Amino acid sequence: MALRQQPGDLLQGTLGILILKSLLLGRAHGYAVARWIEDTTADVLTIEEGSLYPALRRLEDRGLVSSEWGLSENNRRARFYSITAPGRKHLRNEAAVWLRYSQAVTRVLRAEPALG
Amino acid sequence: MSDTPLWRRYLRLTSRDVAADVDDELTFHVEMRVERNLALGMDPDSARREAARRFGDLSAVRGALVEHDAHRKRADDRRELFADLGQDVRFGLRSLRRAPGFAVAAVLTLALGIGANTAIFSVVEAVVLRPLPYVRPSELVTLGPGSGGEYLALRERLRTIPQLALYSTQTHPFDDGVTAQRLEGAAITTNLLPMLAVSPVLGRGFTEEEGRFGNSAVLLLSHALWQRQFGGSRDAIGAHVMVEGVAHTIVGVMGEDFKFPSAATEYWQPYTFNPDNVGYTWGVGGKQFIGRLAPGATLAQAQGEVRELWPALRTLNPLWDPGPEYGRDATADLLSADQIGTTGRVAWLLLGCVLLVLVIGCVNVANLMLARATTRAREFSLRAALGGGRGRLIRQLVTESLLLSLLGSLLGVALAAAAIRWLIAVLPASVPRTHEIALNGTVLAFTAIIAIGSGLLFGIAPALRATRHAGASASHGGLRATAGVTHHRLSGMLVVCEMTLAVMLVIGASLLVRSFQALRAVEPGFEASHVIAARLTPPAAEYQDPARVKALYSTVLERLGATPGVRAVAAVDKLPIAQPVYGLAARIEGQFEDATRSLPVIWHSQQVTTSYFATMGIPIVRGRAFTDADREDQAPVAIVSESVARQFWPDENALGKRIGYPWQSPWLTIVGVVPDTKQDSLRDTLASSLYVPWQQRTRMSGSEMWVVARTSLDARAVATTIRAIVRETDRAVPVSDVRTMDAVIGHSLGGTRFTTLLVGAFALAALALGAIGIYGVMSYLVSQRTQEMGVRLALGAPPRAVIRLVVSRAMGLAAVGTLAGIAAAVVVTRSLGSLLYEVSATDPLTFAIVPLLFLLVAALASYGPARRAARVDPVQALHTA
Repeated sequence: MALRQQPGDLLQGTLGILILKSLLLGRAHGYAVARWIEDTTADVLTIEEGSLYPALRRLEDRGLVSSEWGLSENNRRARFYSITAPGRKHLRNEAAVWLRYSQAVTRVLRAEPALG
Repeated sequence: MSDTPLWRRYLRLTSRDVAADVDDELTFHVEMRVERNLALGMDPDSARREAARRFGDLSAVRGALVEHDAHRKRADDRRELFADLGQDVRFGLRSLRRAPGFAVAAVLTLALGIGANTAIFSVVEAVVLRPLPYVRPSELVTLGPGSGGEYLALRERLRTIPQLALYSTQTHPFDDGVTAQRLEGAAITTNLLPMLAVSPVLGRGFTEEEGRFGNSAVLLLSHALWQRQFGGSRDAIGAHVMVEGVAHTIVGVMGEDFKFPSAATEYWQPYTFNPDNVGYTWGVGGKQFIGRLAPGATLAQAQGEVRELWPALRTLNPLWDPGPEYGRDATADLLSADQIGTTGRVAWLLLGCVLLVLVIGCVNVANLMLARATTRAREFSLRAALGGGRGRLIRQLVTESLLLSLLGSLLGVALAAAAIRWLIAVLPASVPRTHEIALNGTVLAFTAIIAIGSGLLFGIAPALRATRHAGASASHGGLRATAGVTHHRLSGMLVVCEMTLAVMLVIGASLLVRSFQALRAVEPGFEASHVIAARLTPPAAEYQDPARVKALYSTVLERLGATPGVRAVAAVDKLPIAQPVYGLAARIEGQFEDATRSLPVIWHSQQVTTSYFATMGIPIVRGRAFTDADREDQAPVAIVSESVARQFWPDENALGKRIGYPWQSPWLTIVGVVPDTKQDSLRDTLASSLYVPWQQRTRMSGSEMWVVARTSLDARAVATTIRAIVRETDRAVPVSDVRTMDAVIGHSLGGTRFTTLLVGAFALAALALGAIGIYGVMSYLVSQRTQEMGVRLALGAPPRAVIRLVVSRAMGLAAVGTLAGIAAAVVVTRSLGSLLYEVSATDPLTFAIVPLLFLLVAALASYGPARRAARVDPVQALHTA
């Protein structure tokens, strides 16, 4: 829950990756993206849902996602987002960086403490 | 086109606005969350609270999104517009490249039209439109001409023109110690420069003191003269030069742009009134008055006051009674209008003609566009089927037109730059402010306007016509037939318009050409060939003694007469055609003797030496020429022209009758009668002339004379001899205007020749464009109706019938256009009025021949296409059907 207090620092870049990842399954509206993150992280990384939308706009401005209006599963007018080809490429790169980083941190944390 | 698919643009266009979209999106999110919470078993209240808590600060997010989306929408709109424009331009260029013949023809036509318009407009702009370079130029008015006495009287009386100045142009010998030359200058009252709010760039203006008689030996130089004679040195101030043989001190130099009253003016000196010479003050007119309107006074008020005041000056004239008509036609005019004079009308006329040529050119290009649009009908219907709206297609076509006119105007401006240089060189000297003609911002703005105007003119109608069926019908078969028919009607109309304008222009030009020919055919009444003239201007101060003047001319004439190849020599005070030959009011013995009553006017009077008539080739009709016996101490004699004799002694012999100057003086006995001659110009209709022997001349005359010589061979060969003889006789006497009489006459026609030449060239262009128009439309018609021609031929029609069909269609169009052109010309040529000489504005010959010419041209232009139609192979034509 500590993360929810400070979504800025760590989540700023991460949120984008999470959104792109969620869109790999196909186009989705903002609520579906929020639900996917919620379900996938088992609510560990619960985000402030309102921050999702500015993040989506930023991704769209960078050409990583595109948006269009469509009808939701319950026939309501909703804005759907899809990942673009540059978005997929960006996700691959960022994910690799992220994985290396987290592995390094994990390794450090699991290492035996030095004698002293 | 941007990447956005059309249907999405549609959605965006119909969505209410950016804020509503953001609200939709966020509300959807929150409501989905509430629904899920409810499904998880929460009560409605906590479901909402939980959803809101999860979302965070809704209004902050909403605000940020609305701002972001609005910004993006504006950027998108802009990009789309430019993307569309860029695409239109790229597409337009591609489609022009695919039709290079069409593109080149259109661009060249437009370049010539726009270039000619730009060049002529640059003249109109500099000469007519640009305000005079003085403070509040719209307040400046001119009056007169009149005498110094009239000026002094008016200056005291005029309320609407409280500031009034006088100026008088003059040409005097100007001697800086190195060369004596004859320069044009102006005497100005000392209040003139302050009134114009102009001061010298170097030195000072005239003081009031210098405006008094006897105090005025000071001079202002023009910038050009200062550069030429003094190399632009400041030492010029205070230097002395001889003007009319009197030493003058240079006190100042005027700015480069001060060209008053004309660009030829090279120096200014104070105008003074000699209180002792009432005869000069009241007796010599021709001075110009210039004034500044009182604050709040209008030109109309000033004109009213002048009309009222001037006739009242009649009683002030101490010399004679100027008569009941005196001052009746006096008026005031704006200085700008006065300076522009008739040049303004000619300039507008030329601009009108050249605009007509451009419009005709545009009609031709429109016809080309139309023909092309019809061949592109499939492309249009395809694009319409693919979702390009009619508006989008029209925009594409208009973009193509504007692209053509842009290319045309770029080339046109380059042509205009060359044309302007040429115009400045050949414009007649009477045109004011030619040195200011340039391709400036105003001119280029005009070019931009006519370029866009012509782009729309020739682009819109074809675009509307071409796209009319594009949206409705995608089946190309049907399309071609309908488009073909409407195309023919529209292009026929265009050709008729074109013919109308061209006929009008050619009729106008023909009238000018005929009037120029009439002018050239005018017999001046003297034999101009083999005569050369030169103007001698002895400095007045050195030639105050009449005996000295007499000695100068006697020596020069004697030596010139002894030159081999010279058959006769004479001197005359005013050379016909080269300058106005003013006349005088005359007393006639037994008819008009009282000089205090109004006297009849003899329009021209000259002082001539004895052999003037022989030298100029003017025959003596009755009586005798002047002889050496008509000396100063003998009884005064005169020779008159036939119309004088006719006017005053219609049934008697004029010989022996007596005539007199309008002041108290001995009668002159008429000893000879000569034919009327052209004096002021070839257009001169005021025929009466009075000649007096130079030896009996009056005191008031100046010492400037023209020497004329008749030669047996080429008169030009004598030019250097004249200069040399005068130089050897007295180097202080400037010789100027050494020209043959043929050249003098040619020069006097310069303005008319220039106008006629330009209008004639425009008319030829119009005629050629008209012929091209007919040819183009007929060619197109034939190519579109190949099948019909094939069928006709297959059914046994002789080729001649097919030819007749095509030609008669062309003649039909030409006839309608020609008739309309005649009607338009009747209205328009009336405005030529004073530009015509001895040709009526509705000259029947011109009005008959020009239309016939156009019909002939139309027949010739359509004959080629008609022959092609007659040679159609019926089998092939039917196959392609």
